[in-house]
Amino acid sequence: MAAFNFVLYALVMLTCLACMVLLFRGYYRTGARLLLWSALCFVGLSASNVLLFFDLALFPTEVDLRLYRLAAACAGLAFLLYGFVSEHD
Amino acid sequence: MEDAEFSDAFCGFIQANIPSVEAAELLLALVRQPDEALSAAQALECTAPGGGLAQAEAARLLEAFQARGLVSSEPGQGYRYRPISEELRLHAETLARAYNERPVTLVRIVYALRDSRMRSFAEAFRLRRS
Amino acid sequence: MIEFLAGAATVGYLVAAGFFLRYWRKTAERLFLIFAVAFVLLALNQALGHLLSVVSEPASWVYGLRVLAFALILAAIVDQNLFSRRGPPK
Repeated sequence: MAAFNFVLYALVMLTCLACMVLLFRGYYRTGARLLLWSALCFVGLSASNVLLFFDLALFPTEVDLRLYRLAAACAGLAFLLYGFVSEHD
Repeated sequence: MEDAEFSDAFCGFIQANIPSVEAAELLLALVRQPDEALSAAQALECTAPGGGLAQAEAARLLEAFQARGLVSSEPGQGYRYRPISEELRLHAETLARAYNERPVTLVRIVYALRDSRMRSFAEAFRLRRS
Repeated sequence: MIEFLAGAATVGYLVAAGFFLRYWRKTAERLFLIFAVAFVLLALNQALGHLLSVVSEPASWVYGLRVLAFALILAAIVDQNLFSRRGPPK
């Protein structure tokens, strides 16, 4: 069960990182600012996922990183929404 | 009108200045009457009837044209077509030709360029360079 | 503070989904539709995880929503590379 959970977690993390990398690469190639903001969104989501791993697998009882996980996700979403709104005609 | 006339420079002009077909028609209304200053309302009357531009939006477009050096503003009278560079004048002429001779192509290009920022998001997820 | 951020994140995911949906309607790129659905699932994951007071996320079915969302995003990337036509219509 733990192994299955780990596989699911790895799927989430790798997809998140892949999005981040592809969007940064796209921004580097095209200079389209929307891609920068989107990439930063996935930085935030990745950070949130990493903290989830720390929270539950590494330090299940010592710390509760929920506040920081949420803050990272919110920061990421703020970047994305700023990108959508400012890059929209 | 040849395909080659839709050059990268002209497409850059469209992407920077012409966000919609209605914007093109508004600009061309001024281009056709360089001797007159037109207000937003007057310019709208010259465009295709029933073309969905509100006066406020037309005013916003005219201000944008002015900011980019395509038209000049005359207080109390309106806007007059007065490009600040030869390059802009040539692009405006190309736009007029395209609108008359290749309207379908022009429309496709206007909207493809407008959507290009969105498309760049989708294109970023292609692993191989397109 | 946590309640505020949880609510903000939920709304953020939903608004982002709305933008992806709009992009899909304008460009007909399937990737945007899939991202829209994925972000709705992330919103649900966020909202339900908080409302049901989920402590250990992976142990709960709520986590399945997050997994499904990212699986969809992964599917969108695969689809974009294998099945979607290149670039805007000429």
